[in-house]
Amino acid sequence: MTVDLQGWGVWLALCAACVGTYLCRAAGVKLSGHIHQDSEVFRWLSAVTYAMVAALTVRMILMPLGLLATVPMSLRVLICVLSLAVMLSGQQRRLVPALLTGTLLMLAYGVWRTNP
Amino acid sequence: MTLNRFANRREAFWRGIRDALGAPVLVLFAGMIGFGAMGRTHGFDAWMTGLTSLLMFALPGQVVMLEMVISGSSLLAIGFAVTLTSTRFVTMVVTLFPQLHRRDRNPLLYLWVHMLAMTAWAMSMREFPSIAPKYRLSYFVGLALPCWLISPIGTVLGYFVAGWVPAAVTLSLVFINPLFFLLTFTDVKPWANRIAIGLGCVFGPAFYVLDADSSLLLTGLVAGTLAYFIDRRWLRPTPIEVQA
Repeated sequence: MTVDLQGWGVWLALCAACVGTYLCRAAGVKLSGHIHQDSEVFRWLSAVTYAMVAALTVRMILMPLGLLATVPMSLRVLICVLSLAVMLSGQQRRLVPALLTGTLLMLAYGVWRTNP
Repeated sequence: MTLNRFANRREAFWRGIRDALGAPVLVLFAGMIGFGAMGRTHGFDAWMTGLTSLLMFALPGQVVMLEMVISGSSLLAIGFAVTLTSTRFVTMVVTLFPQLHRRDRNPLLYLWVHMLAMTAWAMSMREFPSIAPKYRLSYFVGLALPCWLISPIGTVLGYFVAGWVPAAVTLSLVFINPLFFLLTFTDVKPWANRIAIGLGCVFGPAFYVLDADSSLLLTGLVAGTLAYFIDRRWLRPTPIEVQA
């Protein structure tokens, strides 16, 4: 697979991707002018958005691309569960400790993997 | 509910900056370092990798673009797939911006909207109910601006350190992004949205196996609509907290 990575094609792909992404944002602004936040449409769209975001998150954890794919699925899930447990362990949400838990566990696994 | 958290817009803006300079900026910084490292290992130009973060500023779309360029997809297919992964922005904006003050809902929003990403969106959805409408835009800009600016910096940094940082470090950085999103879900209050998250987690992988490109949109529509009706049909007799 020899793709000319410095060629014009890559830059055109970048342009297309940027335009497509911005158009979605702009469409949101355009549509938001017609929607009130206590309407039924707003509630429905909130649910749709959260479902999309959740699907994206689960995809990144269960079906990752690149480096994360080299970590066993069971380990990825286990680390997520442990981090969630830290997050929910107090009255106040513990976001930073939970993030640290997950990140450090993943780091520890990476270190252990290179020198078992 | 404390709606008088701020005396003026400036105070709201700086509060946004302060809130950004914690988990949100760290998460984006780490995520973008991971993306920069990925660009390097895939053999991309440093300029291009950095510009992607500045101009697209949508990590999942960026990753999709990178992967598709590597696998030699056509220009049209790349544009289409990336746009599909970005459709979530339509509804993210539609759910966030109606909460702004009427006076702030002007064409300038077309500028601010570029700084919207999942991180700032999740934070704003959480904080807006406790902020008076006229200060929400200032807070949002304060929150989103550092998140946006840190991204190309993190990307270029990641690109250049990818060569000498141990793989274990890169691994943990790449992992921060999905972990952060997962953790913010625990802060979601309305039941319709909670159910939507649960259903999205189930339907997402299933639709992904069927057709990767359209799976996000499809999951959103199916799981979201289902959650909305479950909430409306069975859970809603007690009025849901709605803020002005």
